Amino acid sequence: MPMDFSYKETWLHKINPSLKLLLMVLLFIHLLIIHNTNILINYMIGMLILYLFFTGHPWKRLLVISIPFLLIFLTSSTSMIFFGKGEITWAEWGLVHITEESFFRGLHLGFRGIIFAVLGIVFALTTRPVFLFYSLMQQLKLKPKYAYSFMAAIRLIPLMIEEMQTLHYALKVRGVHEEKGVKGFYNKLKSYSIPLLSQSIRRAYRIAVAMEAKRFSHPVNRTYFYRLGFSGFDVIFLCYLLVMIPLSYIIANHFPYFSITDVRYNK
Amino acid sequence: MEKGLKLTDILVTIIIALIFGVIYKLWGPLYGVVATLGLHLEQLIYGMWFIAAVVAYLVIRKPGVALLAEVAAAQGEFIFGGEWGVATLIFGLGQGLAAELIFAAFRYKRYDMLIASLAGVAAAFASIGIDYYYGYIGDLALWNLLILFGTRIAGAVLISGIFAHLLVQSLEKTGVTSLVRPATKEDYQALG
Repeated sequence: MPMDFSYKETWLHKINPSLKLLLMVLLFIHLLIIHNTNILINYMIGMLILYLFFTGHPWKRLLVISIPFLLIFLTSSTSMIFFGKGEITWAEWGLVHITEESFFRGLHLGFRGIIFAVLGIVFALTTRPVFLFYSLMQQLKLKPKYAYSFMAAIRLIPLMIEEMQTLHYALKVRGVHEEKGVKGFYNKLKSYSIPLLSQSIRRAYRIAVAMEAKRFSHPVNRTYFYRLGFSGFDVIFLCYLLVMIPLSYIIANHFPYFSITDVRYNK
Repeated sequence: MEKGLKLTDILVTIIIALIFGVIYKLWGPLYGVVATLGLHLEQLIYGMWFIAAVVAYLVIRKPGVALLAEVAAAQGEFIFGGEWGVATLIFGLGQGLAAELIFAAFRYKRYDMLIASLAGVAAAFASIGIDYYYGYIGDLALWNLLILFGTRIAGAVLISGIFAHLLVQSLEKTGVTSLVRPATKEDYQALG
């Protein structure tokens, strides 16, 4: 099935990939110290704006990709809502004990999960892996042997998927029956993973030998096919964050959605 | 001789890691479906996210491989648009470091099921440590928290300990592991 994965290039595509990655990690750490749901909701809106308007992908695709967000919200929040600590009881059925505190803590976790998901997707949709690794080599001094190995490995994945398809047909044509239960699952897993892994290791080994012969592992005085640097788009992205983050604090202080400002227990 | 890992080791490690990276990505929705039940049954399958480090180490048996594999697998999951986004990278780093520490503690001399399970458990502890900040799990009711601990560790032993070891044992039978492992004492003896 041929898949159309075309998109328009936006300013998010043109940000230096290393910088983008570093900023994402910093945002992650910053998000861990936000315990106020009001700030988090504003933060989420700020990120959703990037996702909805600036990734350059068509609406339909964005919609399909966002379906798991809902699942993330549920998985991140349910345990905490049902079983979290708290004093003001809302409902109780057997083991399930929903309190006001646990409910808001659960919501907080759900929103946090969504923000991470959105950040990740924005990065994935707007960054070409090849540029990311070239940039890591040039800006963050990642050793070429790691970067080129990674790029080669990414190229091998479609081959592996094709191989898996072939394997599937081969097993079918030879009349391999599917057993039920745990043992059947284990056998099925083995009959796919062993040939796939062994073939991939063999192929990787051969490619690596060839790459070493061509001095791909040579670290000094390299020239690069792509040269990546910094540009005005990096400044735009930085400015966006520098406006969005203080703004989400200010709005949360003046127009809070909920009265709870710290979701942690005993704080 | 070059110091550290050779390009061959790295490429093989990353290929193994990316295969698991794809599985990690597919594991996300499965985990999500089980997790909505709220009783931490999903933690039993959490152990899958530690497997790349263990399998890569058991195959290649060199220092640094476990960390590289887990980071690469997380990076793979991240690039393919995994549901947890950036969090994956941090978890991958923590889990990889934990597994690597266990292998280092035994001076990279042991490759049995026990050491694989230990590495899995160490990775589980690392993930729980990060979850303490990420998921406020300290604020869960105590019985619920204990279930989370127990099932995640049990899952780690089952999947990244026992299953990973069995997987590599079957791989050894195909002969590919001898391509990438360093020569052992027995190899030199066989040469006479």
